[in-house]
Amino acid sequence: MRALSWAYLIAMLGFILLPVAMLVIFSFQDGRLPVPPLKGVTLEWYGKVLSDRALMEALVNSLLVAFVSALTALVLGFLAASGLARVVLPGSAWMRGALIAPMTVSYLIVALGLLQMFGQVGIRPSLLATGIGHVVINLPLCFAITYAAIGEHQRSALKAARDLGAREFQVLWFVAAPMLAPALAAAFFLAFTFSWDEFIIAFLLTRFDVTLPVEIWSMLRSGLSPATNAVGSLVFLVSLVILVALELTLFRKGAK
Amino acid sequence: MSIERREKWQGAALVAPALLWTLVFFAVPFAGMALMSLAHLDGREIVQGFDLGNYLKIFTEPALRRGISVSLEITALVTVLSVLLAWPLAWIIATVVPARWRRLVLLLAVLPFWTSYVVRSYSWALVLGEKGVVMNALVGIGLLAEPVQIMATRAATVIGFVHFFVMLLTLTIYSNLVQLSPNYARAAQDLGASRWQVIWHVILPLTLPGVMTGAFLTFVLCIGDYITPQILGGNNELSLPQLIMLQLGRRGDYPMASALSVVLMAIVTLAYVASARWLKMERM
Amino acid sequence: MLKQGCAITALVVGCAPALQAEELNALIWCDHADPAFLAPFEEAHDVRVNVKEYEGTAAGLTLLEQSRPGDWDVMVIDAVDVGRAVERGFLAPLPEGVAPLDDYFDEVRLTDHVTVEGTTYAAVEKFGYNTIAFNKAAVSAEDMTSLKALWSGKYDGRIAIYDYYLPVLGIAGLAEGVATADLDAGSLESLRAPLMGLKAASKQVSDVVASQTALATGEVDILVGGGEWLTAVLHEENPDLDWIIPEEGGLLWAQSLAIVEGSEKPELAAEFIKYVLSPEGQAGLATSSCYWGMPANKAAGDVLSDAQKAVLRWDDQADYLARAQLYPVPDAETDAAMQDLWTEMLQN
Repeated sequence: MRALSWAYLIAMLGFILLPVAMLVIFSFQDGRLPVPPLKGVTLEWYGKVLSDRALMEALVNSLLVAFVSALTALVLGFLAASGLARVVLPGSAWMRGALIAPMTVSYLIVALGLLQMFGQVGIRPSLLATGIGHVVINLPLCFAITYAAIGEHQRSALKAARDLGAREFQVLWFVAAPMLAPALAAAFFLAFTFSWDEFIIAFLLTRFDVTLPVEIWSMLRSGLSPATNAVGSLVFLVSLVILVALELTLFRKGAK
Repeated sequence: MSIERREKWQGAALVAPALLWTLVFFAVPFAGMALMSLAHLDGREIVQGFDLGNYLKIFTEPALRRGISVSLEITALVTVLSVLLAWPLAWIIATVVPARWRRLVLLLAVLPFWTSYVVRSYSWALVLGEKGVVMNALVGIGLLAEPVQIMATRAATVIGFVHFFVMLLTLTIYSNLVQLSPNYARAAQDLGASRWQVIWHVILPLTLPGVMTGAFLTFVLCIGDYITPQILGGNNELSLPQLIMLQLGRRGDYPMASALSVVLMAIVTLAYVASARWLKMERM
Repeated sequence: MLKQGCAITALVVGCAPALQAEELNALIWCDHADPAFLAPFEEAHDVRVNVKEYEGTAAGLTLLEQSRPGDWDVMVIDAVDVGRAVERGFLAPLPEGVAPLDDYFDEVRLTDHVTVEGTTYAAVEKFGYNTIAFNKAAVSAEDMTSLKALWSGKYDGRIAIYDYYLPVLGIAGLAEGVATADLDAGSLESLRAPLMGLKAASKQVSDVVASQTALATGEVDILVGGGEWLTAVLHEENPDLDWIIPEEGGLLWAQSLAIVEGSEKPELAAEFIKYVLSPEGQAGLATSSCYWGMPANKAAGDVLSDAQKAVLRWDDQADYLARAQLYPVPDAETDAAMQDLWTEMLQN
């Protein structure tokens, strides 16, 4: 059983890591085609990618949209969760359902709906439109995570603060937010990641100020090249650095 | 009474922005789309109206109708395979792997999450090709006499999907497993249950809510995905999202794209209703 | 909420730097996205060219429909579809003298297509052929002189089809003896069986990159709908990749450039078109990173290197042009029927 378990673990890790390994290896390909055989090693493609204006702008756009939309979704989700955790409102269950609903809908549907609505009211496809779409898909996530983190203990602490005469925003800012910090951080980073990597909404709701996944898609469509591997590897590297940094700082306490 | 009332107002005020956002940017566009699905394309102009023609076309024209079955078949297969592969993996990481290595192994098991999603599908295209490493290896060690075609088939799409969802499900099932108290397993063992019996009768049922939630998410994300079948499937069959994008990208047929989206939405809703009793979406 | 306000401000401010330089918004095909091709114009006029790619004329026209006047300045459009865009009022007349028509290859001025009721709306910039591309190390070039080889069974499972319905339906028509100009809803029905047969014999229906990958790695040996636009970029990597116009003929594609109606910068847009049609612009466009193609302006021959001209097969153009037919120009109804047939083929 033990040996079998380890064999299974190694096989699955192999399956999971294989495409990424190949992606990275062939980003160094000395030739136009990122497929075996490996003809030699070059950093040419990385140079090309880093000096590509459109890609670098897309990268900045992606970071911006991810940051702003994750933050917006977090604030909205946090407020809603504290509101619903605080009092039993008529239709509470219904409200929770409504807030969670977008999570059960394909991104493509969200994108198509917004595209048509923005078209009718005359809002141009833009980063702002994309950001709005990303808040729609991330709000349920932020709400659910925050709501789940408010337990009995947190409720009574909030109540105590209110009984002691704290104003509502003080309660939220000085008591609730610090108390829920790990959940809020987790929600923010999840939302950030989802937005950062989201394709279809950004594809349909941008014009030329595109995000990174859209730029990578047009790279993919316009010609086979190890440069695409290089972009993928760079994104991977940057995400890993952030991940390790988070692991070492923010989530250290949480880990056993 | 008045304090309670004020509390209610304050609570409502806190929920309002989020609800408003969902209403304006989710419910209203969706209603608009449903309305659009009742319009139709006359030549190259969109004619508003109440016309069920698009839906009739979806269920009568073989190319469109088949999109529904293609999507359902792929999604069902992917969901089942991913659960079957992810559960043992999560269990091994949670129980067999020594505690000090656990986080590292878990990190490795979800590492490709951190590359770009578009690139992930593309990298499978490179791996699965006839000249890719998989075929090279299989032929090299003599398992295959000559390369078989995987790339540009449904198998490639399924592999690409399973790769992603195994990671997602491993995470959800793992977090479910580590929350279980070891007492359950110990008690069962004390009562004379074998290790397999403990897993089958005790641990597995306890993880069911986590599994179902993960499986539902897999279903939703998989059936709505355009990139993976588009990159890996070789256009040898078209899923619903591919058909939707075809209407948008090639024809500018928004009414038909909307009708197909409504069908997609209906399928997801049915799946939700069917699995609702096991789902705890709020507790993910 | 304050935070949100700040965040949105940041988003708006973040976009502001892009507004500083003058901008030209172009709706294009991917060959115009090559920075090396755009840079000389951007530097000369201190302007930034924003590009947005689109796929297929219908999608491009839908994009214009959803835009507001002034959103777009120039657009690349299939020369045969110029009439369609003009009919819907999307294109502005092209100023006199923008296109150096005297230097053009005669066959690609396409005056009938870029002119509507005596007014010229677009100028052809680049052309090439949709025919058969193949790997001559794996396929007998002799066989490829006839389209019949595709249906012979000899190459089953080694064929890829380029995923664009117009040229491939055109080629299927040629194989059946239907000229592209005669392709209508009626004759379309006779192409159903050959098209499905072609699908059965092929491994995949793919876009540019997937086609390149498959051809370059030897997964397929033939690409239906391919041509120099596909093989030229891969020439260095695999000189065995070849293309041919079979005896039944091939399809001529021609892309043109036009000023979009409502542009607030018609002068700058005209300058851009002048640049693209100049010998230097033409040479850059012909060898753009996305795909290569013949420049419409013969004067580009003085700028292109001999090696580049060899890859483009400069000297054979007269013969090719004589044997190629233009893309089919379907009306709305035929177009819908064609797309239905195409979707059916994909789904089959």
